[in-house]
Amino acid sequence: MSDDKSKFSRRDFFKGAAAGVLGGSLLGMGVYSYSPWRKSYFPEVKRKMADIGVCKSVKVTNISETSWFQNSVLMGDIKGAGGLLVNQYSYNWPPFGDGTGLGKGSFESGVAKIRHLLPNNVDEAWAITEKLSVSPENAGGFAALIEVEEMSGKKRKFLLDSGWSYKWMHECFKREGIDQMLKNREIEALFISHEHFDHFWGVPVTYKYDPTITTYIPDTFYPEGLQYLKDAGHKGKLVKVKPGLNPIIPGLATYVFAVPIICRVYGEQAVYANVKDHGLVSTTGCCHFGIIQFAETAFREIAYEKNQLYGIYGGLHISPFEDWDPKYDDLVISLGKYGFQKIGCNHCTGVLCAKKFIERGYPVQKGTARHRTPDTAYLGNGDRIGFGIDL
Amino acid sequence: MEEKELRLYGEGYLEERKLIPRWRQPIPAIVALLLTLAVFYATWWIFQDPRGWLRMYTPYVGYMYTRWWLIMLIWMVYIFNYWPFKRAWLEKTHPVLKGGILTFISVFILYVLIKGFFEGLLGNFGIAYFNPGRLMQLPRMTEFFALEYASLACLMFAAIASWLSPAWVVACEEVPWQKMKQPAKGISILVMTFFLSTIIFFMTMHSHMGILYYPWQYFTSIAPPYWEQFANTVSGNFHVAWIMCCTVMVWIVETIWERFPFKLIRTDWLRRVTAFFGIIAMAWAMLFFLYFAQELTWGPAIRGTRLINAPDWRWLHVGEMAVFFLVPAIFITFYCNNWPRRFSLPVNVLIRTGITIVAAVLLYILYYMFSHDFLGTQKGFMHEQQFPMIPTIWLINIWLAHHWFMDNWPAWKMVPKTAEEIAEGHAAEKALIADVRWNPSLGWGLGVGALCGIAVYFITLEILPWVYKNITVIR
Repeated sequence: MSDDKSKFSRRDFFKGAAAGVLGGSLLGMGVYSYSPWRKSYFPEVKRKMADIGVCKSVKVTNISETSWFQNSVLMGDIKGAGGLLVNQYSYNWPPFGDGTGLGKGSFESGVAKIRHLLPNNVDEAWAITEKLSVSPENAGGFAALIEVEEMSGKKRKFLLDSGWSYKWMHECFKREGIDQMLKNREIEALFISHEHFDHFWGVPVTYKYDPTITTYIPDTFYPEGLQYLKDAGHKGKLVKVKPGLNPIIPGLATYVFAVPIICRVYGEQAVYANVKDHGLVSTTGCCHFGIIQFAETAFREIAYEKNQLYGIYGGLHISPFEDWDPKYDDLVISLGKYGFQKIGCNHCTGVLCAKKFIERGYPVQKGTARHRTPDTAYLGNGDRIGFGIDL
Repeated sequence: MEEKELRLYGEGYLEERKLIPRWRQPIPAIVALLLTLAVFYATWWIFQDPRGWLRMYTPYVGYMYTRWWLIMLIWMVYIFNYWPFKRAWLEKTHPVLKGGILTFISVFILYVLIKGFFEGLLGNFGIAYFNPGRLMQLPRMTEFFALEYASLACLMFAAIASWLSPAWVVACEEVPWQKMKQPAKGISILVMTFFLSTIIFFMTMHSHMGILYYPWQYFTSIAPPYWEQFANTVSGNFHVAWIMCCTVMVWIVETIWERFPFKLIRTDWLRRVTAFFGIIAMAWAMLFFLYFAQELTWGPAIRGTRLINAPDWRWLHVGEMAVFFLVPAIFITFYCNNWPRRFSLPVNVLIRTGITIVAAVLLYILYYMFSHDFLGTQKGFMHEQQFPMIPTIWLINIWLAHHWFMDNWPAWKMVPKTAEEIAEGHAAEKALIADVRWNPSLGWGLGVGALCGIAVYFITLEILPWVYKNITVIR
């Protein structure tokens, strides 16, 4: 049939059609997919301009940014336990040490050793867990005090995270007077940024002084984390924040990002503050979603003063283990165009990254390298930064 | 006489063996799937799972070994034709024993290559980043990241080699050494593909490694790298993406496409050149489309962000998405005898491609739904530690070992083809090619088909965002 060229052959037609479909699809894929024409498919970004109100100023006190003291010890433990994806509760780090050794623990067996002492006897609990855990001396923690001045002049305090080591956080709380503020119920809420050991596991220290404090967590906590809140002695209101915007008080809101995080953690909460006549301030625990994502989200979701991204405080999760990757350079290169005017980075930003920021001329606020912070390149323990207020 | 000598080892073994299913399909395919999945899960738990025994999914250490093991299998079978094992041994040895011995050898060579060549030789006498011990001398470097960086460098080399090694056989048809005896032929192809891999490594991955350190290594690598503006990132993941697509395309052409359409070209040199560069061109089409598909579902990438919106992750994810297509393609060829075979070659190829695409999409969805619980990987799409390429290539490695070393045992029985059967096979192949000849009907079909293909492409662009919106993968 196909030999007779004057006749139409359905079989040959289908042969050609089959080859043509493959060829045509590949042609479209190759020619159009990365061309400038493809941008016509991108929907226009419509700003939601959610009104979170406005505040007069924000002051942040760095209670502790040193989550661990020896990077090599932490990474040695992570390597020994099987890498960055191992469930954090099984590392046998304090306070969940059960004496079985690195990578062999569990939440249940660990917390059973200290549950009866929480939250009032955190020192005794730590003394027990120190003996049962891997690298207890390496545990530090991240926590920050956020003081918001309302337009009326009224000041309101919030705690962002509660660190890791009971011992270290106790020391830091006393140094900055956080223990007294909690006792006096001056701090009205605790925002737990995410479930990671260095931000969350020290929560009994906060509850020791104020077990009734309202606690906001991302609604992506694993069952162990939720149980730990109960075991840690929390008696107050627990707010599980769903991914998205969550206004707190005029000028202050949290935002939860559903992002995967190492050591089997999911989801992170961060804080937006809208400062009158200045712009938006971003306060983050670890910022696993990325500071530029945080800025882009703010642009899409929130209305803020002067349309200006004004300040940053906290960990930016760029080089938490003093590691590096070319993609981090993408961030270092790109951050400049967002126009932040005051950058108070520390913690998982990494000293190396802070130095790269400084080299590019970004307005990084240097620190004093006190209380075991290793470098002046970023804001250290006990340092403060003001947004809309000079300190 | 020469023909006989050429077949002293495993030359032509894969084509000249007859795999007879012990039961009617689909039972053999199901048995093979269940058996290999059981082996996959057991070995995953032993070697890779972050909750398991050796926990090599760090991820780069596990990824490096997985990737290089794939190449060891390709080298042993495609390049060295099972040398030094004799044809008679391949035909008479029990598949389990044969599989055990050949797998052990592949792992042994793998270990020698990583520890001896990359870490010991290159890492000590050439480039420091191949050796974790050398990296440990850098200020503030931890053992964990020293190992990760060295593994990253090794696996980037592997990514290139896993494209070029089979490409020299599939596309270039072993030229100019196709008539040479083993092991001379294998050594020649190995040297050539390793040489090309080295050049491409320096042109694509070396700059990535060079800017991994502070300050950027301006004097030993090009920094910032030349692809920065085009790819919207300085990360070498851009190259990982297109090279991975090349690897996938080589195997798609070799398996479900039966080297179509290139084998229709009768002039040897033209066919080989067209196949080699045609595969690259199709891989780039795949690259751009898979990147665009992400833009359609998650929005345009934003440079400097992390995870799902970052260009570097999007490029990496292109490579990850591509490998999902390889899994069903290999399965169709190895265990379904390249079903269907009843139509003309282009129609068979189109149907298999359609099945592969559907199966790949389903596998993608299932993987992200269940891998966190089932394999212990990171939850969600978008993390540096979430590497679907590791489990998928691990499974493919098991299939390769099962198909190449164990003759699909136990659901199939291997019987050497007789001379008549081999001749019949060659005649059938010639007839298959001769069946696709140019004529006006085919030309009309080609034109209409091309328009339909373009239409399919644009319809896909329309429905992708809708599909993403309506299917919840990550809860």
